[in-house]
Amino acid sequence: MTASVDPDLVDLSDARLFAHGEPHELWRALRARRPVRWQPVAGRTGFWAVTGYADAERVLTDHAGFTSTRGVFLNVLGRGEPASELQFSASDPPRHGDLRRPVQREMTVRAVRHHTESLRADIVRLLTPALDGGPVDFASITSALPTAILGPLFGIPAADWPRLARLVGMSVAEDDPDYRLPEGVEETLQRAHRELFGYLLNLVLAHRRRPRGDLVDVLASMTVDGRPLSPGAVVANCYSLLLGASAAMPHVPNAALLELSRTGGYAEWARQPELLDSGIEEAVRWATPARHFLRCATRDTQLGDVTVAAGDAVVVWISSANRDERVFANPHRFDVRRTPNRHLSFGDGHHYCIGAPLARLTLRTFFTELFRRFSSFEPAGDVEYVQSAWLAGIRRLPLVATPR
Amino acid sequence: MSGVSRDELAVASTYVAPRSTVESRLAELWSSKLGVSPIGVQDDFFELGGDSLLAADLLMDIYHDLGVEIDASVLFLTPTIADLVEAMPAAEPEAIPR
Repeated sequence: MTASVDPDLVDLSDARLFAHGEPHELWRALRARRPVRWQPVAGRTGFWAVTGYADAERVLTDHAGFTSTRGVFLNVLGRGEPASELQFSASDPPRHGDLRRPVQREMTVRAVRHHTESLRADIVRLLTPALDGGPVDFASITSALPTAILGPLFGIPAADWPRLARLVGMSVAEDDPDYRLPEGVEETLQRAHRELFGYLLNLVLAHRRRPRGDLVDVLASMTVDGRPLSPGAVVANCYSLLLGASAAMPHVPNAALLELSRTGGYAEWARQPELLDSGIEEAVRWATPARHFLRCATRDTQLGDVTVAAGDAVVVWISSANRDERVFANPHRFDVRRTPNRHLSFGDGHHYCIGAPLARLTLRTFFTELFRRFSSFEPAGDVEYVQSAWLAGIRRLPLVATPR
Repeated sequence: MSGVSRDELAVASTYVAPRSTVESRLAELWSSKLGVSPIGVQDDFFELGGDSLLAADLLMDIYHDLGVEIDASVLFLTPTIADLVEAMPAAEPEAIPR
């Protein structure tokens, strides 16, 4: 379907555009012809769509020229961001650093070293259903991946996870028929948001009664300019961490396995342990689960061949930038040896993904255990994609795994 | 935020004045958090201009002021003063000293 889309007319805010996977033909045409293109949105303010790597990198790193304080997702466009300057993802320096630093200290590989064995055990358990050699939905295996790393950090019991995963899905894929409530898209977002906030506030209150020394305690007790965060700010930051990790993480192995099962590249990667890390970076580039980020111009500026006015919304399409042929040789080839690999999947600049070290740890553990147990994967049926303008995800991935 | 009249907002409910000490106190807490008055006990917190962050802050204000902890989901999913009072622990709310 993507080949027939007119790059001048297509509505980039319409989630249906992404219902059959990434529209790479469209991105290629936009990068070549209109790398910074105005996108009108019916009934709301429009935005500049940025598709080239160099422009994307500039918008993400120039926090003075492009602010995060009006929100960072397309689905908040024109609504106002209540967490502005209270949530690190919706803040600019220097406030951003004050909010982020205490959390970042708890999200290093060293800080979570006591959880690495439980992480490995959880992953081994997740992979067990694939060992009997029949077709499995690989997406259902990876959907539990976030809880393996986030559960101990947040003190969230495993039993709560299915409900939370559903609410996170509603928050980031409100247009998806699997998540959308009969009442409509607005109601889906609102319901998910309020249920998650209610859940997380109860979690924060429980931590306040009985601290557990985890990430929630850090957020609940940290001070900025000598003052504690408001309960709303604590919950908003928990929400941001939960959303980032739980929405995005499963889709890196999903996208990688889909490609590798089609090309037969799995076996080659699996037998070369020295390529584990470069292959994981390539999987992260390949998947680009967070398809876009929103910024707002703070002053008139030239971007590519257009003039962006102060106050204009700018959407950086990471999924396009990560396949920019001017930066990545053979961008549509999954190359486990690709170095350097300056993909933008974790963003860039001050807002570079706070969870990146833990995401890499989780992926390294996952692929290590995967390679140890399985010699190959074959496609076993139709793949279904998440219908969302933000989350580039696969929700159904039937594969036949061959155990070693 | 300061001094917005309830009449200026698109509130779906009909105004119902607080009927007890606890409801009156909750209306005062809502009013100072939202900068809106008067607050009716059937009014929706979010229709009065509240957002999720303010709701979380309000719940903590209620805890500090009234000494009762209410399940956060109540405020987020049934956001009225009447529903909050109903969800308060059975310990006779009228008797809580101020």
